[in-house]
Amino acid sequence: MIQELVVETLNNALILYVMFCLLAPIIFYLISVILAPKRPSKVKKMLFESGQTPIPYRVSPYPIEYFPYVIIYVAYALLALVAFITSISLMESTETMYVGVIVLSIITAVSIYLSLFMKNLTQKLERGGG
Amino acid sequence: MPNFIQILASIIEPLPAPVKSIIKLTLAESFIKAVVFPGALFGIILGLFAVWYERKILARIMLRVGPLHVGKVSGILQLVADALKILSKERIVPDVRNKYLFVLMPGVALVLSLLLFAFLPFGAGWIIYPSDIGLLLFFGVLAVSPIPIVLAGYAAGSKYPFIGMSRFALQLFGYEIPMFLSLTGIIMSARSFDLVKIVEAQSIMPFILPQFLGFIVFFITMIAESERIPFDIPTAESEIVSGWHTEYSGVYFLMIQFTSYEKTLALCVLASLIYLGGWHGPSIPFVRETISAPFWVILKALILFTILVIIRGAYPRLTLGRVLDIGWKYLIPLGFINLLLTSGLSALLVLG
Repeated sequence: MIQELVVETLNNALILYVMFCLLAPIIFYLISVILAPKRPSKVKKMLFESGQTPIPYRVSPYPIEYFPYVIIYVAYALLALVAFITSISLMESTETMYVGVIVLSIITAVSIYLSLFMKNLTQKLERGGG
Repeated sequence: MPNFIQILASIIEPLPAPVKSIIKLTLAESFIKAVVFPGALFGIILGLFAVWYERKILARIMLRVGPLHVGKVSGILQLVADALKILSKERIVPDVRNKYLFVLMPGVALVLSLLLFAFLPFGAGWIIYPSDIGLLLFFGVLAVSPIPIVLAGYAAGSKYPFIGMSRFALQLFGYEIPMFLSLTGIIMSARSFDLVKIVEAQSIMPFILPQFLGFIVFFITMIAESERIPFDIPTAESEIVSGWHTEYSGVYFLMIQFTSYEKTLALCVLASLIYLGGWHGPSIPFVRETISAPFWVILKALILFTILVIIRGAYPRLTLGRVLDIGWKYLIPLGFINLLLTSGLSALLVLG
């Protein structure tokens, strides 16, 4: 039973390849263990700050500057996903092909309109506004 | 006259049974595909060659010589020397937020980038895992590959990796969707997710001709996916030191670099398969098709890689806002136009 499983595993190129892929970082690490020195020090353990004053751990605000992009991309992601999944079935018959052409024409026209008329999506809070 | 296999069989016959079974295993088709070509050994050699090749071309662009002294031909062994040097550097794990994640993520990223080659055919029979949904599987692994990068940036917990990670996450929005759209055009034309069938569908004409817009979109998103200049915003050296991998050194740094090159090469091979006709090319006299097929795929992929390197040498880095603008203002509409043209052309052909 085990022998059969081993033979089957060794005859499957994908399983063998996945095994080698998993081994690659381990081999790199083992070579490093053999070759690399180990001289730990407190300075080496410090985080890289490029000569600036270190910032301690703290809660920091996340910029909302690009938030509108995220929203518009999520909307497009849904459309792209639907197009990707239905791509083969769209090409199956003449009828679905025509429906596909009509739907894609509308989406293309909307995407061109948006890109032409929505000049800047970057969100900025202006002092004294509104 | 006995052929090679008969001679080999006569040599193996008197050997003890365990040795015989090991030799049989190493000569089996599955083992050769997984370990030699197009598997592990090929992936590693191609990765090393790509680093050397890039350094040589970049040097020419900058009027330098590039690697020269190590190895007899044009410093070809410089990369081996560099890899050994990095491997012999101390493995420093600083006081990061999450040490386990920090140490594990470069390895996970490397495994995922190597896995991409499992679904890429280099000829009708030269594929590790032939599948009806090969392109879907490739894209599935590719879509997962940013996760270790984001987690590595999070695990480091210092300011440069955090900025790099958030830049990477935002950049992701800009190129994933156009890439999806350009691949959809290919699937519509070939009517299959199988990469072998997609290449076979290009026997008369490579898809770059009817879908040139799709190719442009795919090529730009490919550069962004592999985080190369001008889309190296998450690792911009002159701004945020080294971005999300600032805290990595030694073997971890080597794994990250190797991951980057393997991913880039896998994308170049994919582009050569889906747009440049894959293994279709002029027949080479006295060379069998089983050998000429991988030759054409690798040659086409290297041509694309050369363009990528030239772009790296010629263009400055874009800003994050510019990348996001390019994504939704140009690439997404172009992707939809490409889809419309592809489906419209198919409808016209059916009507005709």
